[in-house]
Amino acid sequence: MNIKEKLQEVFREVFEDEEIVLREEMTAEDIEDWDSLTHIQLIEAIEEEFDIRFILQEITGLSNVGEFLAMVERKLGGK
Amino acid sequence: MDVEAIRKQIAGLPVRDYMGIIKLARRLKKEQDLSGRDKVKVAVIGSCSLQYFVMVLRLFLCKYCVGAEILEGEYDGIHMAVFDKQSELYKFQPEAVIVLSDYRDIRAFPPVLSAPEEVDAFVRETMGYFETLWRRLSDIKGCHIFQSNIVIPLERALGNFETNVYYSRRNIYQMLNLELLKNRSDNVTIVDLEYIASMVGKERWFDNTSYFTSKLGYALDYIGVVCDIFAQQIAVLKGRVRKCLVLDLDNTLWGGVAADEGARGIQVDPGDAVGEAYLAFQKYILDLKSRGVILAVISKNDLESAKGPFEVNQNMLLKYEDFSVFIANWESKAENMELVSRKLNIGIDSLVFFDDNPAEREIIKMYHPEVQVIDVPENVADYVLALEQAHPFEWLNLTEEDLNRSDTYKSNRQREELSMRYEDYQNYLNALEMRGKVQSLEKGGIKRFTQLINKSNQFNLRTQRYSEAQIAEMLSDEEYILLSAVLEDRFSKFGMISCVILKKEGTACFIDTWVMSCRVLKRDVEKLVFHKIIESAQHWGCTEITGEYIETRKNALVKKLFSDLNFEEVRGDGCSGRKWYICKVSDAKIMEDIAIEEM
Repeated sequence: MNIKEKLQEVFREVFEDEEIVLREEMTAEDIEDWDSLTHIQLIEAIEEEFDIRFILQEITGLSNVGEFLAMVERKLGGK
Repeated sequence: MDVEAIRKQIAGLPVRDYMGIIKLARRLKKEQDLSGRDKVKVAVIGSCSLQYFVMVLRLFLCKYCVGAEILEGEYDGIHMAVFDKQSELYKFQPEAVIVLSDYRDIRAFPPVLSAPEEVDAFVRETMGYFETLWRRLSDIKGCHIFQSNIVIPLERALGNFETNVYYSRRNIYQMLNLELLKNRSDNVTIVDLEYIASMVGKERWFDNTSYFTSKLGYALDYIGVVCDIFAQQIAVLKGRVRKCLVLDLDNTLWGGVAADEGARGIQVDPGDAVGEAYLAFQKYILDLKSRGVILAVISKNDLESAKGPFEVNQNMLLKYEDFSVFIANWESKAENMELVSRKLNIGIDSLVFFDDNPAEREIIKMYHPEVQVIDVPENVADYVLALEQAHPFEWLNLTEEDLNRSDTYKSNRQREELSMRYEDYQNYLNALEMRGKVQSLEKGGIKRFTQLINKSNQFNLRTQRYSEAQIAEMLSDEEYILLSAVLEDRFSKFGMISCVILKKEGTACFIDTWVMSCRVLKRDVEKLVFHKIIESAQHWGCTEITGEYIETRKNALVKKLFSDLNFEEVRGDGCSGRKWYICKVSDAKIMEDIAIEEM
């Protein structure tokens, strides 16, 4: 599974929707339960899945799936 | 997924599995939970974000079979909700209000080097705010307040010096928490979040990232731990109280098997690490006993080998007399569990089971899901912590009667021996030399009165539950008469054992509530109480006494009470399990031959 597929699994798990297919330009508007609270849950789930930690500045900058993906890739690259 | 399935899942989910918990909570959000045995209206107010808390609280209330309607306060809305009489909070009329205060609520502090008097004045003033808050909330009829204390933050501008000076913030937080304890009234319960945070570790408890992004007061990881505590407190408010710890013997109270190693060969040697651990567990159990928890043993053993260690092993801290019920036989533990419940005359749902054998635990879980089964770790050093973290014995108050309960059960054994000497029951009752009194409730008795009403299931006609605040209100209302009965006999003083709430409804005196402790069943107490009910009706100038029986799973015992007291059944309203009764005051049967002498 590549990073995008793994990330998609996390999204499906958190939002409990097996239908979710990630596109880079996807935002909170496109997923029903994606609000400021599930956002926290999403961050925690991603941190757990990839064994990485986000800092506050990074979290607030994330607005669409593409940015999430880029962030995870950068973090993993630095490991 | 229906509510019942969710309940089963949450009961099996560790409180630290927050991802699983949140998922389940979301699922429950979509269900209308009507299945709970009790219904409760809860309002949650606080200064941090409450969305997760409310969602997860509902899930944990479901775990304790309490169906809840929850009002979620605004973010940072404590002040707004409480001080505006037009707010949603007052329209909602909750029975329980949860106030989640946070250390960040206190925005200004006395400056460094402030004099002690200034610090005291500041603490008094801040406490005054809490007191006003509680007073306002107490205007809501029958409302119980669950106030979190302050989790003291890790920041210490003064470093270690903070704990050396009176004016430090750390000291001020500590003083405030102490003030909460000192100033709470009976309808306020302080919920010790400071303890919870210390237990999980404050480095992990505080999560500033979540606070800055979403205003969560603490790490989401502990949402289950926190909500479990609050839900349990509310379940206790609704009368769900556990009273008895049922213990296994071999490898639970001591190391090894008594039947094999002999009463002196078991491991309780204070000079041995393992023995010391078992003794530490025994000591903790004795602490539980001295706060009123009843102890029982069920062991797969013959009685001789089971009793042996208590009688001959000098190292044992627990003694045979510490147990109110002691069962050692070869029957299944599921059956013996029922026997414990019967012998103590308490519901099987008030039992807690501690057994090192996982197979036995599974059997109890299967046959008696209402029993709280402790997940006993293999490591004996962790026994105390395992029992502690399951916090089975959560009570909202503690009375003299609670502490004497164990002794009462012990006297029961003596009574049993006495009863064998009398063939005629009336003669036996006379031999007990009972003395009793029924009187109007006094202020000092409200605590016990409320507790008895909320704990009684068997001798309980309508199973209405009331909070201390509601009882206090009735006490000052002339439309109500509250009666309480006390009893003693040659073996023990029982204290308050029966409660009655009478309500004046025109020319009728309605028995709103009549409960009696199961420890004094068949002792003529009901006859004595009924006399007083007649007197009360006469005092009001009522012409009839009315009553209702509402059937529950547990109160078959009093199904015939009204007909035994010469009441006439009136046509029911078609509602199943409810029966109405009436008795003219002039026809009320005056009982004779009551075996209780009036005090």
